[in-house]
Amino acid sequence: MPVLSENLLFFILAGLTIFSGLMVILQSNPIFCALALAMTMISIAGIFASLGAWFVAGVQLIVYAGAVMVLFVMVLMLFDLKDEVRAFSRGIVSGFVKIASVGVIGGVVTAAIWMSAETVFPTTPSGLQVSATQSTKQLADLLFKKYIFSFEAMGALLLIIAIGAVALSRIQGGTHADR
Amino acid sequence: MGKDVFEVTVNILKMFVIFLMMVQAVPILVWLERRGSAFIQNRLGPNRIGPLGLLQLLADAVKFLFKQSFVPEKSVAPLYYFAPVMALIPGALAFNSIPLSIPINIQPFEMAGQTWGPYTFAFQGYDLGIGIVFILGISSLAVYGLMMAGWGSSNKYSLMGAVRATAQAISYELALSLSLVGILMVYGTFSFREIVDIQTGPLTFKAFGGEHIVSWLPNWGIFFQPLGALIFFAATFAEANRLPFDLPEAEGELVAGFHTEYAGFNLLLFYIGEYGHMMVASALLATFYFGGYSFPGLNPADVLTYMQSVTGGANSASILTAVVFHLVLLAKVAIFLWIFIHVRWTLPRFRYDHLMSLGWKTMLPWALANACFTAIWMWLGHR
Repeated sequence: MPVLSENLLFFILAGLTIFSGLMVILQSNPIFCALALAMTMISIAGIFASLGAWFVAGVQLIVYAGAVMVLFVMVLMLFDLKDEVRAFSRGIVSGFVKIASVGVIGGVVTAAIWMSAETVFPTTPSGLQVSATQSTKQLADLLFKKYIFSFEAMGALLLIIAIGAVALSRIQGGTHADR
Repeated sequence: MGKDVFEVTVNILKMFVIFLMMVQAVPILVWLERRGSAFIQNRLGPNRIGPLGLLQLLADAVKFLFKQSFVPEKSVAPLYYFAPVMALIPGALAFNSIPLSIPINIQPFEMAGQTWGPYTFAFQGYDLGIGIVFILGISSLAVYGLMMAGWGSSNKYSLMGAVRATAQAISYELALSLSLVGILMVYGTFSFREIVDIQTGPLTFKAFGGEHIVSWLPNWGIFFQPLGALIFFAATFAEANRLPFDLPEAEGELVAGFHTEYAGFNLLLFYIGEYGHMMVASALLATFYFGGYSFPGLNPADVLTYMQSVTGGANSASILTAVVFHLVLLAKVAIFLWIFIHVRWTLPRFRYDHLMSLGWKTMLPWALANACFTAIWMWLGHR
């Protein structure tokens, strides 16, 4: 009984993730694309939660769905993005790109189904459940002891990106240029 | 959810009941806000319909339900209609995950020719065990409702209000989350239930190489994290879009901000969302810093024994004990809700640049300093 309900939850969340992920690329209105991407983030958080990774699910909600996507949507709402709607819907090159993308997606989907049979219908029971606080402590131990240098390097990388974005926006011709 | 039909049914019903509790508290708060503001400003407020003007609530509800809903012609229909619901969902989900009292123990009983139980029902919608992170994550989604409303109405005032709301929510969320880091370090758990359990008993702290007990003070979080409590409380005003942080709906500049184009029941949903945020914030403040549903000197086991001697039944005694502690939490929440209302009618609105500089240049550094100081203190204590 619990195996069935867990699988059902996974299929609902995975279906929602794939559907909203498709909506990101199929919708022509950028606002709806961004909101669909936020929906993808929320469903991924749900998948994390169903796997028992509560802390990662919460952080996914706070950081991606809460902060990053909100900024994204806010910027999109302030710009008038009518020309971008038509930019990629005509021409021979984009036609080839579309056909190639269909092929690649078909291959990825087939491979995913082929390789995930063991994951979705496990023949062996999954690992033992630990409490949320306990699993967070394990995560913190890994992040701040074993992988401390790569973790700090990631932080430095994000800082460089932020400084680079500010520098780019302030040079001549940027949105906040000193004239 | 539960191991048999009875437990699953009760658990599902519980969520609806707690959600309805939240919704039903809104008219009372609206009445309190109107009468309270009237008394603060030396007016009378609504006092004509019913005793103390209480039936004004019913009249308001009827008005909200029957008012014609005008939809702007150029609005984006899916976003326009979904926005009020989206404003309500985070508050409802967050309120359901807060423990409102001690769990109820039900002894085995006979029903429909079968023995059921024993059961233990938590006095909350669902116990996730990751309470703090869940609430932070859910409440960070609340801003989508405002954004959908602002952009979906195709109105410049609405959009400006939505943009302000977004910038404000993101800025103050950082201070809010950081002020809770201190609480996480002091208690060492994510679970609300464990946080409340730790706060029972007299004030106990470790300092100068020994353990000290102050018997006349409760072991509440406010004594460990006074600055964190202050920052948390101030940031929740911004999260709930209440004065002095109600820039998203500043009447003088933006008509009504993001809900300019809403009327009738859709507008009511936004109000429920705002008051729901206030209730969640008050309940969290009580849980983190003021002992939650526990009361100094009131031991659950003693109350249970007393209730058993009064009623005689084990089940009814357990339920009554839970109700007693629920009332304790409700009293604390009511006090904080009144502070919310009192502040709204006492302080003027910030200017927008003042709001931003307060969030980024004052509250964020102080919250960060609080987290660092707590970490150093904990390290010194555990060395």
